[in-house]
Amino acid sequence: MATTTVAPPLMTEERRSGRRSGGQNLGRPGFAWALPATLFFGFFAIVPLVLVVVLSFTSWSGIGSVEYVGLANWRRLAADPTMTQSLWLSVLLTALGVAVQTPLSLLIGVWAAGHQRNRAVLSAIFFLPLLLSMTAVSVLWRVLLDPNFGVPGQLPGLFGDGNLFGSRTGAIGVLVFVSSWQFIPFHALIYQGAARAVPAVLYQAAEVDGAGRWGQFRHVTLPQLRNAMITSLVLMVVGGLTTFDTVLILTGGGPGTDTTITAYYMYEQAFKSFDFGAGAAIALLLVVVATIISLIVVRVSGYDKMRSTMEGL
Amino acid sequence: MMTVRSRLARAVAVGAALALALPLAACGGGDSGGDADEIHILVYGDATNKVETQLVETFNKTSKVKAVLDTIPGADYQTKLQTIINTNQAPDIFFNWGGGSITPFVKANLLMPLDDMIAKDPGLKSNFLPSVFNTAVVDGKSYGVPMRGTQPVLLFHNKKVLADAGITPPQTWDELLAAVNTLKGKKITPIALGGGDQWPTQMWYQYLYDRVAGPELFAKALGGDKSAWDSPDSRRALELLRQLKDAGAFGTNFDSVKFTDGGSPALLSSGKAGFELMGSWNYSTHNDANPTFAAKDLGWTAFPSVPGGKGDPRNVVGNTNNFYSVLKKTKHPEAVAEFLKLQYSDEFVKAQLSIGNLPTTTNTDKFLDTATNPAYSKFQFDMVKQAPSFQLSWDQAYPPAATTTIHQAVQQYLNGRMDANGFIKAMQSLQAG
Amino acid sequence: MTRRRPNWIAGIGAMFWLLLVGLPIYVMVSITVQTRAGYGQNGPISLPDTFTLENYTGAFSEGFGRYFLNTVVVTASVVAIVLLLVPPLAYAIVRSRSRFTSAVFRLFLLGLAVPAQAVVVPIFYLINTAKLYDNLLGVILPTAAFCLPVCALILSGVMRDITSDLYEAMAIDGAAPGRVFWQLVLPLSRGGISTIAVFSALQAWNGFLFPLILTQSESTKVITLGLYNFQTQHGINVPGLLAAVVLSMVPVLLVYLFARRALVQGLMGVGGK
Repeated sequence: MATTTVAPPLMTEERRSGRRSGGQNLGRPGFAWALPATLFFGFFAIVPLVLVVVLSFTSWSGIGSVEYVGLANWRRLAADPTMTQSLWLSVLLTALGVAVQTPLSLLIGVWAAGHQRNRAVLSAIFFLPLLLSMTAVSVLWRVLLDPNFGVPGQLPGLFGDGNLFGSRTGAIGVLVFVSSWQFIPFHALIYQGAARAVPAVLYQAAEVDGAGRWGQFRHVTLPQLRNAMITSLVLMVVGGLTTFDTVLILTGGGPGTDTTITAYYMYEQAFKSFDFGAGAAIALLLVVVATIISLIVVRVSGYDKMRSTMEGL
Repeated sequence: MMTVRSRLARAVAVGAALALALPLAACGGGDSGGDADEIHILVYGDATNKVETQLVETFNKTSKVKAVLDTIPGADYQTKLQTIINTNQAPDIFFNWGGGSITPFVKANLLMPLDDMIAKDPGLKSNFLPSVFNTAVVDGKSYGVPMRGTQPVLLFHNKKVLADAGITPPQTWDELLAAVNTLKGKKITPIALGGGDQWPTQMWYQYLYDRVAGPELFAKALGGDKSAWDSPDSRRALELLRQLKDAGAFGTNFDSVKFTDGGSPALLSSGKAGFELMGSWNYSTHNDANPTFAAKDLGWTAFPSVPGGKGDPRNVVGNTNNFYSVLKKTKHPEAVAEFLKLQYSDEFVKAQLSIGNLPTTTNTDKFLDTATNPAYSKFQFDMVKQAPSFQLSWDQAYPPAATTTIHQAVQQYLNGRMDANGFIKAMQSLQAG
Repeated sequence: MTRRRPNWIAGIGAMFWLLLVGLPIYVMVSITVQTRAGYGQNGPISLPDTFTLENYTGAFSEGFGRYFLNTVVVTASVVAIVLLLVPPLAYAIVRSRSRFTSAVFRLFLLGLAVPAQAVVVPIFYLINTAKLYDNLLGVILPTAAFCLPVCALILSGVMRDITSDLYEAMAIDGAAPGRVFWQLVLPLSRGGISTIAVFSALQAWNGFLFPLILTQSESTKVITLGLYNFQTQHGINVPGLLAAVVLSMVPVLLVYLFARRALVQGLMGVGGK
């Protein structure tokens, strides 16, 4: 559920500014009410974030003492082809994920917003992948995609020799497929909620104007789903950049380093090669890249001006 | 809808109240520190723990200082060990693979040299096969006592597949190539390889380097002489391996196959492959999954000789054994010494043999008949005893930090993503620690 | 709300998806009721010719019961912490006039952008220093902390919808913040509270990274880590592994069946009203 850990700043700004007037100070809670949560969060999220910055300028193997090494980690990473490649891979995986998941979840979401018979039963099945943890999903697909004893072994016509985990294309394909399998239902839900909220009048008006099905979709549904799409995009981007469980379990970053994305490379450097300094530097890079990309998406799309798109859910 | 939700809210509230009480109760038991008269023994968690538990019980019957066994399961042992060894959670005695798995700790001055203990009880050294004991010697000092079974790498085969194809287990490299061609002609994957795990691929390098160049090449490289990787012998070993792969020995999808998820063992037992190069634990893997196959059709031989090679064909590679090493800061060195002595007791040897492990004590010979599969145990024991050299697996000879690089390099050279120069360069980048 | 003719393109897409979801789930369940030998011979797609529940009982004898219990402890504790900390926080965010509170709100917004992956190294260091390594509490605390930003946003969104008339009415009665909180705010944000409870429960139940980094022994293992270790052991038993996967899904499935709306909202991390 990595994507849900970082939900966008929903539905807050506009209402916040609107509701500040009126009422006396009487009966209002003081800062103390927010204090426990703030301290708790500060200790486990903000302090570590500061420590990441500090650690990235040190060398620490976990057994010795922490030594200040200046820019050494950064210089090494700048010259490290696996590092550069991992950034590209992260972006590639994210882009492919968006390209595969968006159309499918849009279609399914719009369909599920309708009133077909058996829809409730069907959407229940759509949902199933969401009920499994990412770990469980990865373990399941590792078994199902085994070249000899999984599905490829039984359908050689479709999969050839089934060398899905042994080639760069195959391994990347598997990662994109498995993440999509798990998260399309989630994004479809976002679209479903938004599609239900589209006023029927708009469709009637479009019909009067002589718009066909495609025209209605293009001119009514899509524009109305704009905010939902942005929400979904932000979640996909952040989720894609921080993918970790799937890579660890399905490909282990391989073959070779072909699927060593940044989040996994950080784990490998820190917890397999015991270079916690380099691991911290990569982690910091990850935060910066994720923040920049989210900001770009938010700015370009006007997300920060939107209201909640999910009230129709 | 409303009723459902308020019921849920109430349930949540009750759950929350319960939950507050739970962790206090559950977490209370977890501390392993304390100043009691205890020694903590940390081992790799798997089926062998049965024996370790038994020995701890034996020890506790007579000792005033009590031993406590802690386990870390699965592939994360080394990672977890490294993260706690310098903390208060550090054990007194811990399981390891010798070689590079302990050199970082030796360099960090965390381990106790056992030479004083050995001076008091020479049996702590003389009761073990020397080729095994020496794996845990670092800079001339002994840091470990063998504590489980030896795990040499053998060339396993499916007797039925070989018989049907009219081939006998290969003694030489050329016979192996011929067998590969015959099996390929019959649409059988000649050799099962769990390339997805990477370390099974590494076994082919280890044996080829040993047969072509002898153990000296790797020893030189490990000692810091990086030119060893660029020697003609090194290039010839790489060439032979490439030749084998290009002959179709491993099929085409070996990098998608794993040993750990049962993929490559199933290839061998189902007759879809003829051979597999694997550690001696392979026998119990098959015995668990398919006892009939293990008893009837599973065969094994030593790795073939390579014509013109400098290495003795009796040389072995693999995990020499596992070791107990001792932390310098232990409060009870005498109790530790007493515990270590149990590792060459008759009770230890019999218990290990009964679960299919092959101890490396000099008295093991006497009890081989009691092993689960005496023929298999005897084959291995003789092999290890007679081997002029027992090369520790590369990824364990180097410190843990090198593992990822080694694994990636062996995989990428074999599957063709990297050429010989690339492989040599990758291996030259390793820090010997 | 009423939509018209059936939408064929979307319908076909939905059917395609149905196959893609239904088949693997079917295959998974069918493998778990076969014996290990039967699975080896049949392959995944074939119909099972044996039926057994030994994989499910086997999963428990291999320690799954213990993992299950640990996961329940972690989940319940994370939910408890979230329910203790977030409602007062959200209340303060919505009603407090203190400058600090709006700074706090911005802090939590910033926290949304920090992926847990990025801070595991220092968290490992902190937990180790606090001597909580390999202790369930060491998993519980950071997991709960990383639930806070989303939960704070959800719940403050819900609390904002309580109209100021109601607050003012209570203020005229001379109610202190504590009474307002108990008598007005909490009862009116029950929907939001159940959402954050479900959201944090899911985070804890499915959490993998923190347990991976912060625990080591059998006695502190949670389900996700158990699945992962199952897989890295030598000679894995596929039907047994998948039985464990199915078992790990059961509690979530139950919540789904009996509290679908709260689950959906919890999954999506959005405010329930």
